[in-house]
Formats: sequence, structure tokens, C-alpha cells
Amino acid sequence: MQVFSRPLCFPCHGRLRRKALIGGLSPRLSSPRLISRCLGLAAALVLGASLPARAEELAFVLDSAEAAISLVDVKTEREVSRIPVLREPHHMALSPDHRELLVGDSAGNEIFFLDPVSGALKRRLSITDPYQLQFSPDGHLLVVTGLARNQVDIYEAGTYRLLYRVPISAMPSHINFSPDSRVTYITLQQTNRLAAIDTASGRVIWETPVGDTPAGVLWLRGRLLVGVMGADGVAVIDPATGRLLERVHTGRGAHNLFLTPDGRTVIVTNRVDGTLAFLDAATLTVRREIRLPGGPDDLDFAPDGRIWITRRFAHSVAVLDPESGDYQVIKVGRSPHGIWLNTHDALARAVGRAE
Amino acid sequence: MDPLDTAAGWLAENLAIPFLWHTGLMRWEELAYGWALFVVYGAVQVGLMYAICLPLERFYPIERWPDRRAVAVDVFYTLLARVGLLPLIAFVLFFTVQAEFRAWLADHGYVPPTLERLIPGLLGHPYLTFLLYALILDYADYWRHRLSHRFDWWYALHALHHAQRQMSFWSDDRNHLLDDFIAALWFGAIALLIGVPPLQFPLLVLVLRFLESLSHANTRLSFGWLGDRLLISPLFHRTHHAIPAAGARSCNYGAVFPFWDMLHGPARFTARPGPPGDPTADEALVSGSYLAQQWSGFRAFLRALFPERRPS
Repeated sequence: MQVFSRPLCFPCHGRLRRKALIGGLSPRLSSPRLISRCLGLAAALVLGASLPARAEELAFVLDSAEAAISLVDVKTEREVSRIPVLREPHHMALSPDHRELLVGDSAGNEIFFLDPVSGALKRRLSITDPYQLQFSPDGHLLVVTGLARNQVDIYEAGTYRLLYRVPISAMPSHINFSPDSRVTYITLQQTNRLAAIDTASGRVIWETPVGDTPAGVLWLRGRLLVGVMGADGVAVIDPATGRLLERVHTGRGAHNLFLTPDGRTVIVTNRVDGTLAFLDAATLTVRREIRLPGGPDDLDFAPDGRIWITRRFAHSVAVLDPESGDYQVIKVGRSPHGIWLNTHDALARAVGRAE
Repeated sequence: MDPLDTAAGWLAENLAIPFLWHTGLMRWEELAYGWALFVVYGAVQVGLMYAICLPLERFYPIERWPDRRAVAVDVFYTLLARVGLLPLIAFVLFFTVQAEFRAWLADHGYVPPTLERLIPGLLGHPYLTFLLYALILDYADYWRHRLSHRFDWWYALHALHHAQRQMSFWSDDRNHLLDDFIAALWFGAIALLIGVPPLQFPLLVLVLRFLESLSHANTRLSFGWLGDRLLISPLFHRTHHAIPAAGARSCNYGAVFPFWDMLHGPARFTARPGPPGDPTADEALVSGSYLAQQWSGFRAFLRALFPERRPS
């Protein structure tokens, strides 16, 4: 189920690199050349300890408690390396040109720019409290929420120039956009509200109560779905007025929401119950529930149709077959949070779930 | 996976998160795992202290006591500080206060740096980074501790720690709440200057805390001439708690590393430190209950801050 094409413009894939190294040790080589190759190999082995993973298909798993990014080989389902960051990486976003994966380190006050193919660190940028970050569907803006600092920052994508800082109370958490990028929707975890902010002016258009501790927000077919973590389901909101339309029971601790690549199903992770609820995207009725203990949080879709889900309290990623409900477990760091697979272009799914 | 992490995960998932959900406090769920880690590692610290320090005190003591009744309150201090209520309050309170303060600083253009940003080469070398942080924080703590002996109002609080005449490995956490609060502020100020890694290295933090407890143990244990100059031993720290060292003219202020005392003085290496205690402390500070000690310390603090005027 490879929905989106992979970026094509990244040379020097790891497998080729490894082949070149091993193939270089031929007995037919002359001595100086052999010595040179041996030295090169030794240097490569030494440096290899700090190089990122060499697998081509990688899952990036952010470990918020160990200040690291785990790179997991999607084919072998094993962690192949860890990239150190500063303090607390929680979420990430792919740049509109697909060349950089931005990882927000909230307590470290930095964004790490990684090569989305190899995981290599390209650069770092000081930004205050980047907890959640998401590019607008048109690719012009980057919105960053500062959960600890009660601020929503709107940056110009590419230059990362701060356009607007919107002070907002309190604990701004998850982000989504209207399909035309004119409005960004932010959940406010502490004040139990959802806010709509005009991206052109930074003005708060409306705020509305949605329930105890709202978390994930998803634009779906002209409505907003909000995971209400302190309750047991999803609030459905009119994006124009902020009016509560209905509530859908999914399970205790409804946290985040994801539209499947075929657009037919919304998956809700229920943090307290330890379940995934599968909602019909058209009717919002729960079609299925799968038990997944360990604090299910973020997820992404693999090319083979399985779903990769971080388990905050079980130090692992679950790879779930949605047909059978069976899952394998991949051990990663202490507290895996955000996850993204480079096997597809997640940008459209991340920001344009609407259509 | 580390079994302690697994235990913390279980605690967070099955106790902390359901508790937060039922009490309408789910907005703090992001802190639940950190708190669980703190509690689990704190419990292991206590277990480790008990398993190693108790035999040392039993079979290799420096003092023999007729009973250990005076130690009981120190056990309460330890449990409260390492596995009980204090970490929970600290997590919630300090997260909020720190976040607000940092937000205010950020609004004024100051983003707190980290040691790894000041020295970029450290990124990717977590253990070296941790060692540097441990050294810097221990150095900062040396000065905090030294100043707490320097000012009367501060020592009035810190005297609670020194008042114990039956000093044992349980005595490390015997502190006045206000003294703990000042220490947290001090620590927070350092964090604003160089950052402090959170619970990225709980095992190393556990080892450092264990060393601090061990340094209070009632044992004549020394690490040898060189060892005593690399890590603080029970004999070295007992010299700090000895009666002549109570109050402003003290020595051996360090907590983990003795370098700072050797650098700034006074560092005294002796095999016969003398009995611990503070003869100027109220008896309530010595043998009172937890609340009596806190109240007595607070009154002494007020007396030091606002001394009564004597008639001329």
C-alpha cells in the first residue's frame, strides 16, 4: 500500500556505500592501494559508530525521555541507530520540498533538520519550545506550538522567519489546518478549548470549549474532530463557528486521530483504555476496536498496509496488521512519541487529511 | 529493556494515567512517565542504600548507638524525598513555574542554552556530557552548601540537617522544606545558564544519589588516599558533620566530588572525625517529629531574619 512516491533525489544510499567498502578489499589490489583501502575501511568503521542508519526504508521514532531519535529499518523491523538530540523530541514534520525532516526538541529549544532518507543531521535552528510543528497545506507556513510556554508561533516556511507569536492560554498542543491554509486549529490542553487562528494575521478567530484536555485535531470533510483525552471520545466541531456538533464515544483517553491513506477510516488512539478505535470516516461510527496496551500515541502507515504505532509506556513500537489485529513489537527507547516512515511522502497526509 | 524502565512504564500506564484521568488532571499526563521514572529509581536508590549501607553500619561502624530511634525520622525524610510526595509536587509545581519563567525570558529574547549548544562537540557523547554536567552541578552545589553555612538565616534552616547526632545513610534527605526549596531555585538558576538534562540518565543519577547517601553512613569507610580525593567518602563527609564544623566555620562542603574543597578549602582528610551534631540547635531539631523539626527550623529562620532588638 505505497500511497505516495518516495523522494528520488537522494544519492549515496547506504546499501551501495556498504557494497563499495566490502568490495574494495580485493586480493588483486596493489599494496599501497590495499593499505590505503584498509585505512579507509578502518576510518569508515570508526566513523561508522556515529553515522546514521544505512537502511533505505526507515522509521523515525522520537524518544522524548532519552533525547534521541531511533532509526528503525522498516524491512527488518530492527532499530539500526540512534541520533542524539538535546532534551525532549516530541514531534516532527517533513518540509514542503521534502528535503528536510524537522524534529522539534521542546525542552532543548531547537529544531533539528535531518535528511529524511538517511537520517543524517543537516543543521539546527534555535526556536523556543517547539512541541508540535506542522506545515500548512500550501507549504508556505510552519506553525509551532509551545506547550510549556503558551504560545503559537507562525513562521515563514523555508526562511523560518517568525511572522506571528500568538500568546494563548493554556498548553497549546496539537495542530491542524483548513485545506486553504487560512486557518490553523490548535487544541488547548489546560483550558479545555479549541482555538482557530487566522494564519494571515495571527488573530484568534474563536475559541470554544470541547471537553477535558483536548489533544489531537483533524480536519475531516468540512468538520473538525478533536480527541478529548480527559473524556472517552471525540468532539465534532463546526470549523466556521466552533460550535460543538456531536460527540463520538471511542474509549477513555482519546488522544490522537489519523485518517487512513484510503480516506475511509479514522483511527483514534485511546491512551487510558489502551485501544485503537476505527471510525467510519463518513458516518463516524466505530467499526472496530483493537486492544493495544502500552499507551498508544502516534502512528504512521507502512507500505505493506500495516500500521506502526508508538507505545509511550512500553518503550516500543507496535507494528499492527489491521486485518487480523495481531502486532509485532519493536523495542526502541524509553518513551517513543512521534513516528514517521520515510517509505512514503507523509506530507500530504500530515497536513491535508481533509480531502 | 531496562527492567526499571519497564516498571516505570507499568506504573505510569496502570496507576498514574488512570489516576489523572479519574481526577480530571489529564493535562499533566505528559509528566506521568517522568514522575514514574523518578519514583521507581527512587525506590531502587532506597533499596540499594539499605542493602549496601546497612551492613556497613552494622559491621564496620564508626559509632555504636544504644538504639536507632533517632534515625526513624530520617527514614521518613528519605521516603518522602525519593519515592513519595515531594517528587510529585516538584514535577507539577516546577514544571509550571519553570515554564512560565522561561516563557517570560523567551519573550525578552533569552532562550536558555544547553551545555551541548555552548560546546557543540558534546552532542552525540551523552556520557561525557553527563559527566560534565555532574561536575558543574556538583561545583554549584558546593557553593550553595557553603553559602548555607555562611548566612545565619540560611544556616537556621540547614541546621536541621546538622542537628542529627545519630548520622546514618538515611540522613542525606533530612532537610528543611525551605532549604529544599532554595536548593531547587539554585538548581533552576543553573539550568537557565547551562541547561540540565532531565531524566535522560536515571541510572547515573541513581549512582550519584547513592554516593551522597553513602557519604552520610555511620561507617569508618575510606576509599584510600587517592580514592578519598576522587570521591567523597563517609569519613570525609563525617568531618563536615562533626560538632566543631557546625555553623559558619565548617569544612568539607562537597557532596560527590572533593575537588572543590581541595581547590577552595578547607578540605580536611582525617581518620577520626569526631561525633556529629550541632550543640547550638534546638532539641526539637534533633529529636522532634518531622513536623516539630520543620516548625522549629522555621522559627529559627524567622529569628535569624528578624532578630529581637535588645534594650540599649
